[in-house]
Amino acid sequence: MGDVILTMKGIDKSFPGVHALDHVDLEVRKGEVHALMGENGAGKSTLMKVLTGIYSKDEGTITYEGKEVEFSNPRAAQDAGIVIVHQELNMLGHLTVAQNIFIGREIMNGKLIDDKKMNEEAAKLFDQLGIDIDPKETMSRLTVGKQQMCEIAKAISHEAKVIIFDEPSAALTEAEIEELFKIIRDLRDKQMGIVYISHRMDEIKVITDRVTVMRDGGYVGTLITKDSTKDDIINMMVGRVIYEDPKTESAVAKDAPVVLKVEHLNAGRMVRDVSFELRKGEILGFSGLMGAGRTETARALFGADPKESGDIYVNGQKVDIKTPQDAVKCGIGYLSEDRKRYGIVVDKTVAENSTMASLESFMKGMFIDKKKENQIAQQYVETLKTKTPGVDQLVVNLSGGNQQKVVIAKWLVRNCDILIFDEPTRGIDVGAKSEIYQLMNELVAEGKSIIMISSEMTEILRMSDRIVVMCEGRKTGELDIAEATQERIMHAATLRD
Amino acid sequence: MEKIKQNAIVKKIGFNRVVLLCVMVLLYLLFALITPMVKANASFVSYARMVSALKYAYFLGFLSLGVTFVIATGGIDFSIGPVMFCAALISGYLLTAKGWPLALCLLVCILVGTAFGILNGVLVAYAGLPSFITSMASMMLAKGIGSVCTKTQSVSWPQLADANGWYRNLVGIKMGSGEFPTGLVLLILGAVICAIILNKTMAGRYILSIGSNREAVRLSGVNTKRWETLAYIICGTLAGMAAIFYVAKNTTVLPGLGDAFNNEAIAGCVMGGTSMTGGVASIGGTLIGVLIIALLQEGILAMGFQIHYQYIITGLIVLVVVWADLRSRRRRN
Repeated sequence: MGDVILTMKGIDKSFPGVHALDHVDLEVRKGEVHALMGENGAGKSTLMKVLTGIYSKDEGTITYEGKEVEFSNPRAAQDAGIVIVHQELNMLGHLTVAQNIFIGREIMNGKLIDDKKMNEEAAKLFDQLGIDIDPKETMSRLTVGKQQMCEIAKAISHEAKVIIFDEPSAALTEAEIEELFKIIRDLRDKQMGIVYISHRMDEIKVITDRVTVMRDGGYVGTLITKDSTKDDIINMMVGRVIYEDPKTESAVAKDAPVVLKVEHLNAGRMVRDVSFELRKGEILGFSGLMGAGRTETARALFGADPKESGDIYVNGQKVDIKTPQDAVKCGIGYLSEDRKRYGIVVDKTVAENSTMASLESFMKGMFIDKKKENQIAQQYVETLKTKTPGVDQLVVNLSGGNQQKVVIAKWLVRNCDILIFDEPTRGIDVGAKSEIYQLMNELVAEGKSIIMISSEMTEILRMSDRIVVMCEGRKTGELDIAEATQERIMHAATLRD
Repeated sequence: MEKIKQNAIVKKIGFNRVVLLCVMVLLYLLFALITPMVKANASFVSYARMVSALKYAYFLGFLSLGVTFVIATGGIDFSIGPVMFCAALISGYLLTAKGWPLALCLLVCILVGTAFGILNGVLVAYAGLPSFITSMASMMLAKGIGSVCTKTQSVSWPQLADANGWYRNLVGIKMGSGEFPTGLVLLILGAVICAIILNKTMAGRYILSIGSNREAVRLSGVNTKRWETLAYIICGTLAGMAAIFYVAKNTTVLPGLGDAFNNEAIAGCVMGGTSMTGGVASIGGTLIGVLIIALLQEGILAMGFQIHYQYIITGLIVLVVVWADLRSRRRRN
């Protein structure tokens, strides 16, 4: 670790009704990877937005390279050498890699764009980073991991001195994460200051030198990573210990009836000959790396995407599921991994979203029985401990975890017996997470059955009774929880043909 | 300002609607003030002027109410004006040239609208065609079919004094020197029914939800195609009804026209607070929006200006309203 390159001191920011940042400090040195951690809503993104000039601060000082600065917009911050690599990639798929890297500051030859020169410059950048990408390749043909590398190359091409990574590993495979870490270490060795935002505790231990923890918009503290344990960091984040041991044996009776049987399901490239069974009262974990075909399997099963072949049996009866409507009629509910796109209806209230899948049972003749609707919605707000001012609140005004609870309520109101939870805790803070775990356990205790797709190993090991592992569209393993270990799952998850 | 927003009655009606209502009243006062200044001996404040403005609002109102449902789903229907004309031409032709009974002709008039609604709805919802292009195409179909059916002749519906002339009472019944505005009663009745459908029934709930997030609704096990089609059918049917009020006002229908009314109907709807991206719609707003357009048109005529000035003003108002809608949405996200 070298000299201090960036200091944020006493940063305070309020929005109407919310004290988003309460005198937060952050210090980044040259040649360090500095983790910024905290639950969702802790204020990490807000802090970074203040730094890069998207928001203006109310109080506090930012000192960068020894001078006090205040950037008026991200462009100004970029010019000064502070760049963000966003979680969501801002790439134009139809352009080439080089064109993307130089977008907005194309290298010109007179009045024309000099593609040749840009390709050369991009190739140089990739050389520096030790990445093997052809600058002339069309962006959309690269994997998500490679696209991320391009983002990084773009950031570095701005002669960055401070790079902020905002959950860079969220969409990457293990191998890609390794490559990412190698690059980050290189950048660190080149004396850049790196801010690394992530929820993945394991990564923090591996890649970072120091950790700054935020909670509820406030600064909690800064730790040296190698001198602290996971539990230390988590305790600072939530103020309580939440790390629980994995499940050791299945809670499901050996002779529990099979409620769902899928045989030889085929749908596109991502679902090849998948077969499995789900028992009553069981949580069946679906593990695998990103792009293993788990979500695609769930969507094909649910009728959200067309399937080519395969038989589905619900309670022993063969069923023909062509649309989500058919699936819902069979008592299957699907909680999507992408809540905003596939879960909530933003212009509708909590109550209206809760009854979205079962409106027919809220009809009084031709009209919707609003009283009954509100009453039932209220009941689920209480059961699920959804934080909302009322059931007539627009769902868009709720936080991520509470929106998720509304979507869960939708399927509970429908009283589905088979629930598919696709990444049920993604983007949800730690507190809400354990509430959702508890709820899942209550649901299976009531005799419902759950398919849980999860990319978090700890979640899989903590919740599942049995685990199906997929890789590249095929089922590559099935483990009882008693015999499941991280190594075994990872082994199956990388079993390629 | 905040205080007004929190007022119970204002909340119930919606703040934007209250603003719009104020705009309407101000506009009326403005015209009352300016008209005598611009044109000698002209006056805007008269019962006749008001009735004239309202008559314009009746058929436009039904068009606009209908298209509100389609816009609520996030779609658009550019065929309603020509569909209205097509319905009026076909049914008028059957009445005058073929001697069909009036009641049957009025029914045919509505059903022609329904048929176009089904066509648009099926093409958009089931075949997955973009609503913009689909309705452009059916607009041309409507113009063409209307002209072909009447052999490109204009159709003159009977006058009040003629046999079969009673339908004209649908816009207003002569009472001494004045007139009872039947049309207004029917338009308000229509709006109330539309508001009930939109806000209290399953159809309305799903139509709005589709406009807000179609995939989320589909993945809730809802037959989104069916409800989306229904929105177009409601729209077409109301265009057919609009045709009745159009002929009751004008009696003569020319073939190959009607597109101008698309724009005014959509403008009325958008002015009223229905979001062009779907998901948010207000029937009350649409009604006020249409009344404002009718008022503009009457005011401009009263001042002795060309009607084209009305287009300019309406165009500007629509731009401002859409811009404001986008801004408030962006702020919310």
